[in-house]
Amino acid sequence: MQEIQKARLPQLWEYLAKKAPLYLPQQEDGVINFAPWQEGARVKLESLNTVLPPKSIVFPQWETYLHFTQKARELKLTPTKEPEGSYILFGVRPCDVAGITVLDRVFLQDPVDVFYESRRRCTIISLACNEPDISCFCSAFGLEPGFAPAADIMLWDGDKFLLWQSLTEKGETLTHSLTDLLEVPTPAETESVQCLRETAATVQEQKWGLDGVKERAKDMFNAPIWDSLYRRCLGCGICTYLCPTCHCFDIGDFSRGERGERFRCWDSCMYKDFTLMASGENPRPTQKERVRQRFMHKLSYFPAQHGLYGCVGCGRCVRKCPVNIDITQVIKEAGGSISCA
Amino acid sequence: MLKHPLFPQVAVVERISRETADIKTFSVAALKGGVPFNFMPGQCAMLSVPAVGEALFSITSAPAQADFLEFSIKKTGAVTDCLHGIEEGCQIAIRGPYGNGFPVAQLKGRDLLFIGGGIGLAPLRSLINYCLVHRGDYGNIHIVYGARSAADLMQRKELYENWPASPATSVYLTVDTGQEGWDGHVGFVPQYVEELGFSPQNSIALTCGPPIMIKYVLAGLERLGFQPEQIHTTLEMRMKCGVGKCGRCNIGGKYVCRNGPVFNFAELKKLPAEY
Amino acid sequence: MKEIMQKMRAEAARVLSSGEVDLVLGWEKGDLWWQSYPVFIENEKKAELLTWDLFCVPNLAKYLLEEIWHKKRVALFFKGCDALGFNQLMQDKRVDREKAFIFAVPCSGLVDPQKVERAGLHQGLLRVERLGDELTFVYKDREKKTAAPWFYYDKCLTCRYPNPVVFDFMLGEPVPVNPRERFTAVKELEGQNVDARFQYWQRQFSRCIRCFACRNVCPACSCRECIFDLTSPRWLGKATELSENQFYHITRAFHMAGRCVDCGECARVCPVQIPLTSLNRKLIKDIDELYGPYDAGVDPQKVPPLVTFNPGDPAAFLESKGV
Ligand code: SF4
Ligand code: SF4
Ligand code: SF4
Ligand code: SF4
Ligand code: FES
Repeated sequence: MQEIQKARLPQLWEYLAKKAPLYLPQQEDGVINFAPWQEGARVKLESLNTVLPPKSIVFPQWETYLHFTQKARELKLTPTKEPEGSYILFGVRPCDVAGITVLDRVFLQDPVDVFYESRRRCTIISLACNEPDISCFCSAFGLEPGFAPAADIMLWDGDKFLLWQSLTEKGETLTHSLTDLLEVPTPAETESVQCLRETAATVQEQKWGLDGVKERAKDMFNAPIWDSLYRRCLGCGICTYLCPTCHCFDIGDFSRGERGERFRCWDSCMYKDFTLMASGENPRPTQKERVRQRFMHKLSYFPAQHGLYGCVGCGRCVRKCPVNIDITQVIKEAGGSISCA
Repeated sequence: MLKHPLFPQVAVVERISRETADIKTFSVAALKGGVPFNFMPGQCAMLSVPAVGEALFSITSAPAQADFLEFSIKKTGAVTDCLHGIEEGCQIAIRGPYGNGFPVAQLKGRDLLFIGGGIGLAPLRSLINYCLVHRGDYGNIHIVYGARSAADLMQRKELYENWPASPATSVYLTVDTGQEGWDGHVGFVPQYVEELGFSPQNSIALTCGPPIMIKYVLAGLERLGFQPEQIHTTLEMRMKCGVGKCGRCNIGGKYVCRNGPVFNFAELKKLPAEY
Repeated sequence: MKEIMQKMRAEAARVLSSGEVDLVLGWEKGDLWWQSYPVFIENEKKAELLTWDLFCVPNLAKYLLEEIWHKKRVALFFKGCDALGFNQLMQDKRVDREKAFIFAVPCSGLVDPQKVERAGLHQGLLRVERLGDELTFVYKDREKKTAAPWFYYDKCLTCRYPNPVVFDFMLGEPVPVNPRERFTAVKELEGQNVDARFQYWQRQFSRCIRCFACRNVCPACSCRECIFDLTSPRWLGKATELSENQFYHITRAFHMAGRCVDCGECARVCPVQIPLTSLNRKLIKDIDELYGPYDAGVDPQKVPPLVTFNPGDPAAFLESKGV
């Protein structure tokens, strides 16, 4: 284990940014999102979750993957160059790291999405949460606010310094190149990590039991909750766009004259046109079916297909839904239990 | 350069033939000639007209039967409108094959009952012609097909000439409403199937058509004694990626593009009724 | 507020049991301190679900589009801003005054959870209460008192109609009207040069994720088929390209001109805090200056300035181009 004094972080970022594009949480007009580091960047490490998850970097809201030219009867297709993958994501919270591993299941399964794969070559430096928010419930899914096993490097906030532990070979290599900036922590500091992890877990006051939720959620298709929950829904899709695991997308074309490009962009099961067929039929005709789909997909369908929950408990949808439609209420309905510690 | 999994190839529409007032069949070959890719009956391909968009269609030709793929396409929306407007020789984009296809191995040695309605004949036709090529592998073949009117029956040459001429193969046609010049059966497909009263003994039924028809066909077949495992159908869902990533075709724990579009009735019963 | 809440429940039970209405629309309390959300009550026994607290911010008027569609008579509660939205829906002939039974709830301001969070008061917070102009933040083992206006939504601080302008029955007493100047941000922007303004809005719009929450929540956005949803032809591409985002916002702003009731809902729901209020207020201010003061949603009988033509109307936008 190593550590870096917080006062030296700007130096670290400057150094890292020279190696590869460096994305970290920054504040602009009051909104904190991952953005490329530049001289004078307003980095905000202490706030918990960014508004948009780092999904917006590994799986951007839209990206072009082919260009076309159509002249009379002839069509020419040119692939777009795959994106650059060697960048660094700094300060990713453990739930968001887990969110990326959920996306991995989708995009790295056969046929591999090579654009995503390329972006996944990034280095992820995760920052543990010392004090989870009231709307955070990552521990419900067996995750730990104080540790992100899928990160390359793990950081813990020790107030004046960040404790630094590399978890992968990639992380190790990067750590080695930083000997000038990193220091050896005292044994007491090293030990404090365990304490930080434990405190964070207990701060997440609500203790969750998700045993059997997957199974029970499967039988929730006709549950009465769907008859009431959807009625206030605005169908805005904020809950899906902001979700670190939601990955539904659409495909569209831009064109001007003979030339154009084809892109892929986020889409949402909360929109009425999501399943609308050309014939005018819609298997999910009202918001009720759409709201049900979102929750059933996260708690039952995704686990059935990929073996893990499609929610990491980041709480973004809980915080940002304009009408407070709250996934934890659905989890409780599915038999997940809560008891205050 | 790495190509995106959604990257299509350019293909040429070699021939376009009109089937009915709103259905045309397109023969699509690779730019260098030959089929753009190999496939099995029941699989689909994503066709696109750049600047307009993509849409998924089942391949209606049979594997290894021709050096092009055939698609029978009904005019229903932006992409299909545009396809109906193009001329022979035009280039379009294609990617595939997608989906599981019919369980051809399971069908060996069985009597086959095909039940199609309207454009639903398209995927069945691929399998019918495949079975006729390997005729010895299968028992009796019965084909029940219906459409709104006589003018809406597609693939008429095969319906009237090729298929009935094959050994132990019978074709039963019906139209929803009778009219002058039609001396065949009048009535809906599901009822006709029950009237004809096929035996479930060593049989597999394969059905494809409008959702409402499928619903009644399934009920009718059950009454005839068919077990859910003996009935296969194809599901229609809106699709975008075709490879189980975009989430659009998700029903329950399945993705229609990847785990389907062919499902047997036993599997369907386990899915939420959202199709 | 507790007293009003009790009245709400009693009134709701009354109108449901008497059969006067089929449905009551109000707010219900969620599990977490800031959660007070729309609830649909069809059974008088459920009237106990109703709440009235510092977080009952969602406007209920727009749900009438759906409910009236289903041929129901609905009773609902309006704060001042909600009533303006309702009037706009009436002006647009989208709701029927006869089918709605309106309870007015005078409102002296609601708490913006983001302001609480920014002040660092959210950790472990259980609930927030108000006594006069003072808020009490209640935690497990302590309390904190502060002046209420610090935590009110900006829209509440500038609200000119806290007492509903349309209602059948008033719950509680009218509250004093004491709005702050609402055009401060607009004037500040107006003071900048074109380039600076352009850059400012570019930066804002580039953040838009096109969730359309601003449109979906807006009582002036009630078109059954929205131009931004049309697929053939598709006017607005789905990629959140800056120019497409600009097209969306500029088009919507113009459609709101003379119709926006300044309820602030769009700005509230925006997940990336795009200052839509400044955009809409700029248009309100321009219309006020060009055609005389007009407040959308106050009087549905009044003819809106942009749907009338007066030969004497100023046409500065033509003159400045020398046309
Ligand atoms: S954020 Fe809330 S209102 Fe918007 S679609 Fe999701 S659940 Fe519905
Ligand atoms: S469903 Fe909600 S809480 Fe779960 S990962 Fe998505 S945004 Fe976070
Ligand atoms: S534009 Fe915004 S402020 Fe104006 S009426 Fe609509 S939601 Fe309210
Ligand atoms: S609510 Fe905000 S992010 Fe969503 S469309 Fe409106 S301005 Fe864009
Ligand atoms: S079409 Fe994309 S997941 Fe099936």
